[in-house]
Amino acid sequence: MAGIQLVNVSKRWGNVTGVRNFDLTIEDREFLVLLGPSGCGKSTTMRMIAGLEDVSEGEIRIGDRVVNKLEPKDRDISMVFQSYGLYPNMTVYENIRFPLKVRKVPKEEQHDRVMAAAEMVGLTDLLERRPAALSGGQRQRVALGRAIVREPTVFLMDEPLSNLDAKLRVSTRAQIKNLQYRLKTTTIYVTHDQIEAMTLADRVVVMNRGVIQQIATPTEIYDNPANTFVAGFIGSPAMNLVEGDISDGVFTTENMRLEGLPHTASGRVILGFRAEDATVTEGEGAITGSIYALELLGEASMAAVHVGGELVNIKAGKAFRADIGDKLTADIRPRLCHLFDRETGERISERT
Amino acid sequence: MADAVMRRNTTQAIVATSLLAIWLVLAAFPFFWTLWGSFKVEADFFSRQSWWNAISGPATMLQTGGHFTLDGYRGAWIQREFWRAALNTGIVTVCVTTISLVFGTLGGYALSRSTRRYTFWILIAALVFRAMPHITLVAGYLLPFFKLNIWGVLPTAIVVLVAINQPFTIWMLHSFFMSIPKDLDESAMVDGCTRFQAFRWVVIPVMWPGVITTGLFSFLLSYNDFAVTAMLLNQDNQTMVPKINSFLGTVQTEGTIMYAVAAVVSATVPLFMLVMFFQRQIVSGLTAGAVKG
Repeated sequence: MAGIQLVNVSKRWGNVTGVRNFDLTIEDREFLVLLGPSGCGKSTTMRMIAGLEDVSEGEIRIGDRVVNKLEPKDRDISMVFQSYGLYPNMTVYENIRFPLKVRKVPKEEQHDRVMAAAEMVGLTDLLERRPAALSGGQRQRVALGRAIVREPTVFLMDEPLSNLDAKLRVSTRAQIKNLQYRLKTTTIYVTHDQIEAMTLADRVVVMNRGVIQQIATPTEIYDNPANTFVAGFIGSPAMNLVEGDISDGVFTTENMRLEGLPHTASGRVILGFRAEDATVTEGEGAITGSIYALELLGEASMAAVHVGGELVNIKAGKAFRADIGDKLTADIRPRLCHLFDRETGERISERT
Repeated sequence: MADAVMRRNTTQAIVATSLLAIWLVLAAFPFFWTLWGSFKVEADFFSRQSWWNAISGPATMLQTGGHFTLDGYRGAWIQREFWRAALNTGIVTVCVTTISLVFGTLGGYALSRSTRRYTFWILIAALVFRAMPHITLVAGYLLPFFKLNIWGVLPTAIVVLVAINQPFTIWMLHSFFMSIPKDLDESAMVDGCTRFQAFRWVVIPVMWPGVITTGLFSFLLSYNDFAVTAMLLNQDNQTMVPKINSFLGTVQTEGTIMYAVAAVVSATVPLFMLVMFFQRQIVSGLTAGAVKG
C-alpha cells in the first residue's frame, strides 16, 4: 500500500513534448482517473509510472522510493492493457499464474492465489481455456485477474474497457469499482470516456496537450470546470460556451441578455452554462431565439438555439414539443453560470 | 436457376481441376523423370536414339541384367564418397541455420521494439546487402582468406553463408516480431520479467511459426548454395551441390554423369521430407499475423 508522487514530470521526444511539468500526489488507496482526448499524454504519464517509458525530467515516487531508474518489474505495480496483452500460448490459469511464477512465489501458494483471483473476477469455469477461445469481456477479466493476483501496491489500467461493447462496459465498470473498493489498492485509470471517469474516480485529472487542466473530484469538475477546455470536455452534452460582453453584471450577446452576474468581470468574456441549468419559460427570459433543432432523448428533449454565434443546447421537459423555427424563450439562474477569460480560457467567476 | 448454378459450379470445378492437374504434371515431371532415370544407366538416360529408352531402359537390361540398377548411387556414395559431401552439407546447414536464427531473433526483436530512427537505416542496409549477388562477397574475400590461410575449410564457408543470409533473416524475423503486439512484452515486464525473460518466455513461444519459416529459408539457402561453397571449399570439404557439379564436369568419362543424377535425387529427398514435416508451421508462418488476441 502506498501513495504515488509525480514531481514536475515531463516527457519529450526530440522537439515533441508529450507531458509537461506534471505535478500530482496520489493518496494511498485512491482511485485516480486520468482523463483527456487522445494524444493528451495521459497514457504516456501512466507508462512513465509503469516504467515502460523513460522520464525526461522530474521524479516519480511510489511509496517513499524514487522509481525513475527502476525496471517495471521492480516497481511493484500491475497493469491492465487496452488490448489485454494476454499470453496466447497459455491457458487462463497459466496467464493468471504467470506473475507469481516469474517472481518465484512458492508453488503451493501459487495455486491458492490463482484460484482466489479467478474467483474474484468470476473465471473459475474457464481456467483451462486459451485466450483465443474467450470473448472480449472474458479476456478483459483474465487481464484483471492477472493484475490482482500479485496484490501489488498500485494498479494501472490503460483504457481497459474501450474494446468492450457498450453494455459490457457498464457491468465491467461496476466490477472494477467494486474490486478496487475491496482490494483497497491505489489505482490509476486512463480513459478518454468522461462517463467512466465520473463513475469510477475519487479524483479526476483532466489533461490536454500534455498539460494538467484540472485536478478535482468528479462533482467539482462537473460543477466548477477550471477552464473552457474542461467545461467543453466534461458532460454530455458539453457545457454551452457563449462569447459576449459583460458590464455591470449584465451579459449581452446575440439572442441573449442575462442580468445578475458578478460585477467583478467586464469586457469580452465567455459565459458557460449547462443545458440542464436553463429552463424553458413562457414570456420573458434570458435567451430568446428560434429553434434550430429539437432532439428527443426519452427522459428529456434537447432544443438547440443560436446564441452569440454558437449553437446552444437547452434541456426541456420530456413532454416539450416544438417545430424547427418556433420561437423559444429560456431562463438561466445567473448563479449557475460560469465566466471564462476570452483569451486564456481560465475561469474568472468564483466557484458556484 | 439452381440447375444453372450447379452447372456453373461443375464447369468451374472441371476447369480448376484440369488446370491444377496440368500444373502438377509440369511441376512434378522433372523430378519424377530424374528419379526414374537415376536407376538406369547412362546409355539409356542420355540415349541418342530415343528418349523413350530412358523410360524402358534396354541398355540397363543389357548391361546389368535388371530393369533397375543402383550403380549410380553406389558410384556416387561409395566410390566417390558422396557421403562425405552429405555430411559436410549437414554441418554447414545446421551451423548456418542455428547462427542465423540466434542473431536473427535477437536482432529482429531488438529492431522491432526499438523506437530509434536508426533501426530504419539498419534495415535498409540489410536490404541492400540482401540484394547484392552472393558472388560479390566471395570475390572480395578470396584473397584475404588465402592470406589468412583459412580458405577451403568449412567454418569459412559457414561464416560467409551466415553473412549472406543474415540480412534476410533479420528482415523476415523483424516483420514477424512486428506482428506481435508490444503489449505482450510490456505486460510480461510489468508481471516481473526482465526484457530478456519477456523475450524468452512470452515472445518466442508465440513466434515459433516465424522462427521455423525463417529457419527453413536459411536452411535452403545454405543447402542449395553453389557460388560460395564452390569457390571457398577445397576438394575434401566440398558440400553436396559443388560435388554434384564436379560429377557433371566429367562427362567425357562414361559413368560419372549418372553419379550426378543419383546424387541429385539423394540431395532432393531430405528437402521433400523437411517441407512435408514442417508444412503446417510454414503455412501458418507465411500467412503470418500468427498472434491475435
